[in-house]
Amino acid sequence: MSDDVEAAFDLAACLDRVRARDQIAARELVEHLHPLVIRIVRAHLPRRVAEEDLAQEVFMKVFTRLGQFQGAVPFPHWVSRIAVTTCIDHLRAQKRRPEFRWADLSENEADMLDAVLTSENDVSVNDALAARELVAKLLEQLKPADRLVIQMLDLEQKTLLEISQLTGWSTSLIKVRAFRARRKLQKLFEQLQKKERS
Amino acid sequence: MKTSGSAWQRLAAAARHSPERNDDAAPFGFSTRIAALALAVEQPVEGVRVNPFWWRALGAALALMIVSIAANYSSISLTADGDLDPFDPVAEVLTTS
Repeated sequence: MSDDVEAAFDLAACLDRVRARDQIAARELVEHLHPLVIRIVRAHLPRRVAEEDLAQEVFMKVFTRLGQFQGAVPFPHWVSRIAVTTCIDHLRAQKRRPEFRWADLSENEADMLDAVLTSENDVSVNDALAARELVAKLLEQLKPADRLVIQMLDLEQKTLLEISQLTGWSTSLIKVRAFRARRKLQKLFEQLQKKERS
Repeated sequence: MKTSGSAWQRLAAAARHSPERNDDAAPFGFSTRIAALALAVEQPVEGVRVNPFWWRALGAALALMIVSIAANYSSISLTADGDLDPFDPVAEVLTTS
């Protein structure tokens, strides 16, 4: 959301109207918050869950809990925390694959994995889509909260402070989760290297 | 062979170059549906506001009942003892028949 758009939209007035059960204001609020919510949902979308369904769940929680918003944090941060928690709940509910296997990868993904395991060179930008899909499969092996942290840190390149604002977690907890996630990924790569050699 | 940590970093760096989706705007009808659903749900906060009023009304009714019982205690106790009102014509007809 650009600053101009942010300035043009009077969030406080809109919230007052929503509290007075103004349907037009509620619609405006959804349209204003949708880009923020959908980016979080897309980045942390569990398998077999439609992004629109998950976004709807997030918005319903926002409206239901609107009376609890005290203004201690900026409203977009409060909404993003609800979105993050909802995504984590869905990721927890889905059954994790017991093992990451070469056989599950497409040809492009397998080539990409082979490239990062065997070559010291940077991966070609042309293979970015295969890399993105491979990353998504690798991240499925992590615990939901660890996955969320590593996604924000290494893929979205957010700072610790930004992640703290979006999730409500302390920076120490974020560091611990990032460390745990990277260690798990490291083990995963080691296992894959052994399998590739064998 | 590269260390696994850097393998992850290079993979993440490659993934970052994948094109981002730009269709962030709400799909047609989405905001209308959410607004209708959200405002159709009864706000729990309103229920909390009404409850103290109910309790106050109940307390006032109980106090009024106690005062009225106390004020009319003598006539109530007479009726309970089975004494007849000497000026009750219906009771008089019933006892004579």
